[in-house]
Amino acid sequence: MYLLTRNKWPFLAALAPAVAVYAVFAVIPIFVSFYYSLVEWNGFSDKTFVGLANFAEAFADSVFWSSFVNNLYVVAASVFGQVPIALFFALLLNRKWKGSKLFRTVGFLPVVISTVVVSLVWGMIFNARRGLVNQLLSAVGLEEWRQNWLGDPKLAMLAVCVTIIWQFVGLYLIIFLSALQNIPSEIDEAARIDGASGLRHTFFITLPMIWDTIIVAVILCISGSLRTFDLIYVMTSGGPGHATEVLATYMFDKTFSSTRYGYGSAISVCIFFFSLAMIGLSNFILRRRAI
Amino acid sequence: MPVQSATAGNTAARMRRTAWRAFVYLLLIVYALVNVYPIFWMALNSFKTNAEFSRNPFGFPQDMFLDNYRIAWETARLETYFLNSIFVSVAAMALTVLSGSLASYVFSRFSFKWGKWVYWFFVLGMLIPIHATLVPLFIQMRQIGLLNTYAGIILPYIAFNLPITVFILTSFMKSFSPEIEESAIMDGCGVFRVFWNIILPMSGPALATVVILNFINNWNEFSFALVLINEESLKTLPLGLANFSGQFTTNYGAQMAGLTMAILPVILIFLLLEKYVVKGMTAGAVKG
Repeated sequence: MYLLTRNKWPFLAALAPAVAVYAVFAVIPIFVSFYYSLVEWNGFSDKTFVGLANFAEAFADSVFWSSFVNNLYVVAASVFGQVPIALFFALLLNRKWKGSKLFRTVGFLPVVISTVVVSLVWGMIFNARRGLVNQLLSAVGLEEWRQNWLGDPKLAMLAVCVTIIWQFVGLYLIIFLSALQNIPSEIDEAARIDGASGLRHTFFITLPMIWDTIIVAVILCISGSLRTFDLIYVMTSGGPGHATEVLATYMFDKTFSSTRYGYGSAISVCIFFFSLAMIGLSNFILRRRAI
Repeated sequence: MPVQSATAGNTAARMRRTAWRAFVYLLLIVYALVNVYPIFWMALNSFKTNAEFSRNPFGFPQDMFLDNYRIAWETARLETYFLNSIFVSVAAMALTVLSGSLASYVFSRFSFKWGKWVYWFFVLGMLIPIHATLVPLFIQMRQIGLLNTYAGIILPYIAFNLPITVFILTSFMKSFSPEIEESAIMDGCGVFRVFWNIILPMSGPALATVVILNFINNWNEFSFALVLINEESLKTLPLGLANFSGQFTTNYGAQMAGLTMAILPVILIFLLLEKYVVKGMTAGAVKG
């Protein structure tokens, strides 16, 4: 473009602040964590180089794997909870209903609220004694269904997943709605003239038209779920026992409570590569679909 | 078709349509209630004493009990957390948008060999799982002495919000026709004058989007604050709320009052500027 031949210094100066901050505080830490993952270190004394021992320990650590499985539960809750619910309501809202604007606003509301607040509110909702869920159950006479939702290892993960679904359905709702609104109206009309209506129209015309968006949403769910941290840290801190532990909370616990910086870094590196692998895998599926 | 008079058929069809419509509205209302009720429940109960909350968990408060708000604001130091959050969120947002828009200007206007690479290097940052950086960042901040400082938390906020900021701004600036700037440059304007006087004013809508997105992200951020700040006087709101609720587990009313105050600014921004909020947050998601 223009100006290519002129003095380059102003451009470099314009790029410099962003590049510097980004490199020092986002990129370098990733590489440094690769190095820390190879040492045994309590954060203060000398580091001892231990090679891949931290990784070997992680892969033999049952809590590491149960945390990973909990991450997969979060993936499942997102893919099979958030996406279908969001898609269903997006299809309903796509018609010109009165007040559909209001429903969209209300639907997006949870997305803008801080995860910490969401976790604390839902922590109270699931509270065994005075939580909303148990009070509702009592109010409708289902006293015996009351549970210690977050205190029971069998139920805690379920409660966490419900909260995660609640928090992000609205995001996918809006993504699906904007994809639906991009479908050219001629296609709808043509299908209608050909006699497609109702469910058949939805399944054979509408859904295939937004299939790419659905796949993007699924990828988002997968990559987002490995980052789950705030919600679980605040709601249950991984407990009871390790029942709701995910990789990020386990990493935090190992690093800052047990001060095992090397081991914690090894888990960080695993999170990093799991994320990349998941994203790569979903991209691969997406590309196959596109061809 | 069964034998039927035309009018009867029409009436049946109309009734079916009305029934369907009612059913859809019912579903939508249930969905809306599920979305809003938890927040409403919290706000409502923040005005009740503990005794009233146990006795009457669903109804409206009998008399507005405002003491919860006083306790949350004074005893739980919410005031400090609020001011810290405002300062950190606004400072990080301003610096991100300023440095990010300068960089986006370069990416969108000038083609040079490594420019594309640097751009992708930025945008790929949206894929970095931030928890993988918590440990090294903590150590790095300790080494350079930025642990427990405002700068120590503002700098990572800038770094991790730059990718989406640069992404949104670059794609917006690319759509400008270069002619206006070209004539300005013919008249002898420097790169920075063109940026400040022409590009920034033209980027209004995209700037609004990234300003709001950055503010909300920073306002809500928890993990970095948790790791990089442990001095009471520097804590931001999410961090303060998390341990405030640890101390006040028995005082539901005060907890709910604190949470209600904490989400009020974001909800107001959302209701007033919904278009930009939604645009920013979905752009981050779709490309993330």
